Formats: sequence, C-alpha cells, structure tokens
Amino acid sequence: MANIDPKFGKALKEYGAIDFNACYNCGTCTAVCSLSTPEDSFPREMVRLSVLGLESDLTSSLKPWMCYYCGECTTHCPQTANPGELMMSLRRWLTSKYDWTGFSGLLYKSLPLSIIVFIVTAIGVILFAAEESFNLETIIHFGHYFEMIAIGAVFSFILLPNLIRMWYFVILKPKIKVSFSTYLKSFKELIIHMFTQKRSLGCDDNEVRWIEHLILVIGYLSLLFTTVFLDWFSSQNLFIILLGYVESAIIFVITVIFVQSRMNKSKEVSKFSQPSDWFFIIWLLLMGLSAFMVRAFIDLDILESNIWMYLVHLIVLVQWALIIVPFGKWTHFLYRSFAMYFDSLKRNQG
Amino acid sequence: MKIEQEKNISFDALVVGGGIAGGEAALNLANTGFKVLLIEKDLSLGGKMIMLSKVFPTLDCAACITTPKVSEIARHSNITIYTSSEVSSISKIAKDNFEAIVIKKPRYVVIEDCTACQLCEEACPISVSDQYQYNMVGRKAAFIPFSIANPKAAAIDIDNCILCGACEKVCPTNCIDFTQETEEYRVSIKTVILATGFKLFDPVLIPRYGYGVYKNVITSMQMERELAPTRPFNTVLRPGDGKVPDKIAYVLCTGSRDATIGNPICSQICCMYSIKQSQLLMGALPMADVTIYYINIRSFGKGFEEFYQQAKGMGVNFVKGKIGKITETEKGNLILRYEDINEGIVKEEEHDMVILSVGALPNQDASKLFKGEELQLDQHKFIYQSDLLGSPSKTSIEGVFVAGTASGPMDIPDSILSAGSASSEAISYLIQNK
Repeated sequence: MANIDPKFGKALKEYGAIDFNACYNCGTCTAVCSLSTPEDSFPREMVRLSVLGLESDLTSSLKPWMCYYCGECTTHCPQTANPGELMMSLRRWLTSKYDWTGFSGLLYKSLPLSIIVFIVTAIGVILFAAEESFNLETIIHFGHYFEMIAIGAVFSFILLPNLIRMWYFVILKPKIKVSFSTYLKSFKELIIHMFTQKRSLGCDDNEVRWIEHLILVIGYLSLLFTTVFLDWFSSQNLFIILLGYVESAIIFVITVIFVQSRMNKSKEVSKFSQPSDWFFIIWLLLMGLSAFMVRAFIDLDILESNIWMYLVHLIVLVQWALIIVPFGKWTHFLYRSFAMYFDSLKRNQG
Repeated sequence: MKIEQEKNISFDALVVGGGIAGGEAALNLANTGFKVLLIEKDLSLGGKMIMLSKVFPTLDCAACITTPKVSEIARHSNITIYTSSEVSSISKIAKDNFEAIVIKKPRYVVIEDCTACQLCEEACPISVSDQYQYNMVGRKAAFIPFSIANPKAAAIDIDNCILCGACEKVCPTNCIDFTQETEEYRVSIKTVILATGFKLFDPVLIPRYGYGVYKNVITSMQMERELAPTRPFNTVLRPGDGKVPDKIAYVLCTGSRDATIGNPICSQICCMYSIKQSQLLMGALPMADVTIYYINIRSFGKGFEEFYQQAKGMGVNFVKGKIGKITETEKGNLILRYEDINEGIVKEEEHDMVILSVGALPNQDASKLFKGEELQLDQHKFIYQSDLLGSPSKTSIEGVFVAGTASGPMDIPDSILSAGSASSEAISYLIQNK
C-alpha cells in the first residue's frame, strides 16, 4: 500500500517543476514521445506519480533518465502541464536523492546558498594564494595536484557512494535479482552510453544537438586528460600544447552555442533554465576560456606578470571540481549512463 | 452596390442565422404574431443539423425532424427569409429600435421561378468539390445545394462559373438571371436574436493527425454525411480508395479540451455523436470493428449513459487514451499511437479508416455586427450571457438575445430549448415595449 503525499508536488516545484497538477491523463505526452516504448512508457506515468507524491516509486524509476528532453510532450500537452520540464525537475530531484550528503538538494533549492558557496570557494583560493605569497610556480604546482586529488576524492567519497545509492534505490530495494554475469555482460551498455549518449538520437530532429553535445563531452574529457595527465600548462611538447588549445576552444565555442540557445529560448529544452543549468554551462564555458587564456599567457610569457589570470582559472576550476561536479548538474553524465546500465540489468534479469 | 429607398423595411424581430436554433426562435415569434426577418448566410436553411444523419440518443433521423420544421418556417406568413445574405451592421437608434444593414448576395437564380429540375446541373461543364458533402464528391457550378435544401432552387457558384451560358439555354423557366446584383437593405427592427451557431474545428491545425495528407483520415462531419440518407456514396467507404472499411477508429477531443490550439473547453457533443456514429456503423457495416479512443466519455445528458452502454453492448471498443500521432502505411491504413491509460503502456494500432471527432469553436462573426454598443463575448469567445441563471438568453445589449450554440457548445435538444428561451424573452421584451 502506498500513501499519497499531496505535499510532494510543492517540494518538486522547488526543483523547477511547473503546472504538472493540470494533467488530465490523456497520454498525449507518452504517445508523442519518440523514446517511449511499450516496455518503458513515459512521461505520463512520472506526472501521475509526482501528482500523487509516490516517492519510492519515483526513486526506483529510471524513466526520468531515459528522457533526453526533446520537448515534444510539452509542445503538444493539451493542458500545458509541461511534462518535459517535470522530467527535468525529477532528474534534479533524483540527483539530490542519490546524494548522501544532501548538499545537492540544498544547492538546487537555494540560489543564495549556491552563490555563498561559490564566493566562499573563491575567497578560499585567494587566501591560499596569499599564503603562498602569490608565487606562481607554487600555485600552478598546487593547481595541478589539486586536480588529481579532487578527481580522486570527489569520485571516492561523493560520486561512488551516490552511484551505490542509486543502485540501491533502483535494483536492491525493489528486490530485483541480477546475476553477476549480467552485471558483466551489460557493462558495455554503460561505456557506450557514457561516451556516445546515443539514446538521445532517438529524439526527433536531434542530430545537431547530439553532435554538439558529443563534441562537448569529448572536448571536456580530453581537456581533463590533457591538463591532468599530460600536464598541459607545463608541457613543452608542441603537439600537447596545440591539443590543449583546440580542446579548450571547442569547449568555449559549444558552450557559447548552448548559452545562446538558453537565452533565445527557441527550443523547448532551452525555455526553462534553473540556476543549476546556468552554473553548469557558464562554468564549463569559463573553464574552456580561462584554460585557453592561461596557456596563451604562458606562451606569450606574460603569466608571470599577470598572475591574476591563473588565479581566475584556479577559482573556476576549484568551484567546478568541488561544487558543480559532485553536487551540480555534472552528475547527469554518470547518472544517465548508469541509468542505461541499470535498465539493461533490469531487462536481462533472471 | 446601392441602397435603395424602397428597400427600407421594418420588422418586429431580426433573427440572425437560419439553423435549428434560429429557425425555432423565428417560428415561435411568428406563431405569436410578430413579423420576423430571418437572415441566413448560406443558400439553404437548416444549418448544420440538416446535414446530419441521425440524432443522439434517440437515433431519430435528423433530416426528418429538420425538413418539416424548415418548410414550416419557409411557408410562414409572418417570416421573411433572406438566404445568401448577411447582416453587415446593427445600430441601436432608440431605446427599443435597431437599424440593421442587410446585404443580400445574388444567387443568379430567381428562386420563385426555379423548379429544381436539375437541367442546369446537367448542362454545366464545371465540376468543383461539393461543400455540402464536405468535399467528398463533386458538384457543378450551376447546382442545387443538396436534395433537401430549402429553398430548393438552383444557384450559380459565380466564383467558379465561366459564364458559358449553358445553364441559361437549358433552363425551362428562364429563371437564371446573370444580371442580379448585390442588394443592400436598411431594416428597422425592435429586437434581435443571434443564432449564429458554431464553427467546426479544422483538424489541419493538428499536423500530427495527418488530416488533408492521409486520405483515409476524415472528420466526423464527413462521416456524418456518409451515414446520412442523402449520403454521397451509397455506402460507407474510405475516400482514399473506395474500400469499405473493416477497422474504424474515432479520435475524440480533436480540437477540444486542448489549450495548444486555443480551445481548452469540452465541446459537449463529440462523445455522443461519435457513439451515435459507431452505432450506425455497427448497423451499416456489421462486420466492421469500431474503436473509440477517448480521454473521458462525457455522457451527461438524459439518456446518454444508456446510449453509451448500448454502444458497448453492441461491441464498440472503447479505449482510454488520446491519440498522439497518426502515420500512414503503404496500403493507406493508419497507425495510431497512443498510451493505453488503463495499462500505462504506449501502443500502436492499425486501422483502415480514422474519424477525427472535431470540436465546436465559437463563431465570432456576431461580435463585429454592433455599432455603438458592445456585444460582449465570454472568455472562450462565445456570446456572453449577461444573466446566465436568471435570464439565460440575455446578452450584454438590451433587446438582443442569443439562441443555440452561439452562446456555447450544446446539443440539438439544448439548442432548441435555448431558442425557446430566447424567443420567449424576445416576445416578452416586444410586448413590454409596445
């Protein structure tokens, strides 16, 4: 027996959901959704569960992650209940549910808190730099190690436990029996979806957006690799130097396109932007831009006299690594691909 | 165009619209001794009802109810009828006196002389699609609108006519007159009844249903014609290839309860007329499967629920789920995609003919008629009823009353009731102002 919770809708509205109570259950959203299948029919079911406030059914569901937000449901909804944005809000809500620290939820719900956290981090970086008497070499050295340590720590203490929680909600709690060999066999799904996001190609007329997104993901991951493992800022290798320039330029260009489309609100997907969406895309843009500038300053040999440039980059980097990656929108990179993995497990159980 | 002094005429009441509501209101006024001018923009009286097959929930023949009523109106000595005419403006010139400008378009046929022998139809070389059969068959440019039209007289479709004169030559009574011109009348009246009816939703506005692209997707009004006694084909068939359909689908709420096309309200008639048609189809094509896809079945009126249960009992398949999109197969069949709400599963089903149960939209023409006074519309652009509970026919202008679907979607019995109410209000108004 499930208990309905009328207050749940109000809570969900803090994550960006609008008007979903207007739904009169006609199913147009599900019928026009090109990703909806007889096995996984959505979004109406999610609207219904949200209206009724059946939390445990929502936390065990992967459907919010199976939606890639083409916005057809919202365009055609006869009640203008905006199912597309509800699915987006559910993804934000699920992200905060998976997060064991509870910090995600606080940041999603409170813009002032997010701003405070960003400011505090920036001050921390400046204080650290002051401590080191603004010695460029020490700070760059620190920055490089910070990246490695942050990646390791955020993954081990935040992301991994959160993924385990997701697994618990989706597989363990609903008592789905999955054999060990299925875990192995389905693993390729995880890799494919993590690096290609190929499911989003199923959305109508989504090729351009898919390619932009794919280039952004590859650009981001390879820039990460270039800075952390190839030590871009200290490298003397011409190929590595150029590679870093190209990657950071790509990130900058694609994020500018995404920011523009959120500002123009031309597509259903970009009509409604929460602060978390803006933080994610703008910080990614700043990452690309500041990394490019730092390396350019190094090559022009003016970084020594313009240490502020590196500090800006370091602040953006620290905020990205400590706020957006563990608690912000970055996590969709993991949750989306793990959702496809878990879905494959559920499908192949027994 | 000229305003001739001798065309200044006066009546007690002006009834705008010669459908079932306007006709009923005119008849009530005329029977109590008032002089009525009835203005109909079309070539025939009878409005939409005269086009229908049968009526719900009694399954009485629509034409058999409409035609006697229409001929009673046409023969009534107190009623003057102008067909192919429109009111261009109405001004209140005194407390209980209006002046209306009526424009009468030429029919190019002298109605009184025409015997409806159809020789002109045979002679006319021009074929165009027949709007009275909702474009499913053709007609000539010289034509009788439809077999039960009133007045039953030929008309010339001057937009398509090539002025060859063939009709004139064969006409035995010389009733065809190409010298007719548009005439304008200045009419003095004491009261106005607006019975301007409703418009059907044009499903072209929902491209995912493919109306106008897929030949076997038709509207409910087209199916109404296929089922009527004066039907265009002698059986029910799909327009794409003339095949008699085996598996028919109804898509309810096409253009109703849908904010995306600007009509968020229920049209009140579609559930029941679709159920009626499904029962008629069960009779016409006993081997056919009929499925009605719905959001909610609203069988709220007297005898409606029993009628719905009767359809279920006859084997009509009711599926809860609104159709999301329709695609066409090579054979001209249609694949309907929907979510089966009872199971929560998205499904696809193939049908060989699809009927879009189109909704009722407001006819906003009446709002522009009044000069000096404002005829208020409600939030959905139907005529505003200023005293809905106390005096439902009153509008925002004193002395102007509303009858039938001009005030909102309603079925035929309600339209006739509404016309009764409007005519009694008008009669009472006329007597008080004598």
